[in-house]
Amino acid sequence: MAYQVPSFVANSCPTKVRASAPAADADLVAQLQSGSEAAFRVLVERYQDRIYRTVLALLHSPEEAEDVAQEVFVEVYQTVARFRGEAAFSTWLYQLATSRALKNRRRARAKKRFAYFTSLLGFDNDVLHELPDHAHPLALLEGQQQLRLLLDYVARLPGPQQVAFTLRHEQELSYEEIAAVLHTSVSAVESLLFRARQTLRKHLQPPFRHV
Amino acid sequence: MSDSAVRPAPAEEWEDLMLQLREQPQARPRPFFYQRVRARTAAETAAESPGLPGWLRRPAYAVLCGAVVLALSGDGAALRPAAGGPGGAMGLGSPPARPLPR
Repeated sequence: MAYQVPSFVANSCPTKVRASAPAADADLVAQLQSGSEAAFRVLVERYQDRIYRTVLALLHSPEEAEDVAQEVFVEVYQTVARFRGEAAFSTWLYQLATSRALKNRRRARAKKRFAYFTSLLGFDNDVLHELPDHAHPLALLEGQQQLRLLLDYVARLPGPQQVAFTLRHEQELSYEEIAAVLHTSVSAVESLLFRARQTLRKHLQPPFRHV
Repeated sequence: MSDSAVRPAPAEEWEDLMLQLREQPQARPRPFFYQRVRARTAAETAAESPGLPGWLRRPAYAVLCGAVVLALSGDGAALRPAAGGPGGAMGLGSPPARPLPR
């Protein structure tokens, strides 16, 4: 009887590209735990782009993303002694990055709500500005417009769905890796992604219909 | 209303969109990211003075702690109104004055 590859294994192709990374990371983490600055530098330079992009995808602000990405690596530096290596180093980094990004997002939304209410009550005269749209007119071509629309709707997804979608479609993590980051099961990740895609496809439906 | 109004987006177009998402220009942090991280770790390490617990280094907690110590010590002279006024520093600490015998 032929062995059937489970769906989550079939979905984990991008992991194979980074197959040797965990072992190399483990060595560097061990060096960092014994105080090696050079090891810290290698780890930061290895992961800074991935962590920055993940946070940027969740926050949509380069300044905030840079700040949160820095905080993630500072936390790594300060708490690496407690890292026991039960999960991959990259999983730990993604955990720190996504939880900090979601926390920042909640704080920003609360601040925005508070500013809205105070403006309604007339406590201050600041006008509530939406984030400026620096998109080049060419970026508003149909394809790009769809992409922008998609990103707008991704930003409105509930936190765990947004994290799962970002890790899957922007970071190309496997279902198993996402499950490890979110401290959940592979089937829960499948469910999160299913619901996220369903919501997004429902919202993106009208432009598709005209094609 | 027809079913077509609620049908999901065609799979190919969805896949195209996912492809666009993956192929969009890769954002990067500004140059010298490591140096900024390192400066931040150094600043945070320097800020940690060995004798004080972390919470006490926050100004609000430090002020609150100072106020609590002052209140519990009973030496709240600094918080009272100026001497000479009603309930001033002299008046509060001493027993109420008896009326003079006639």
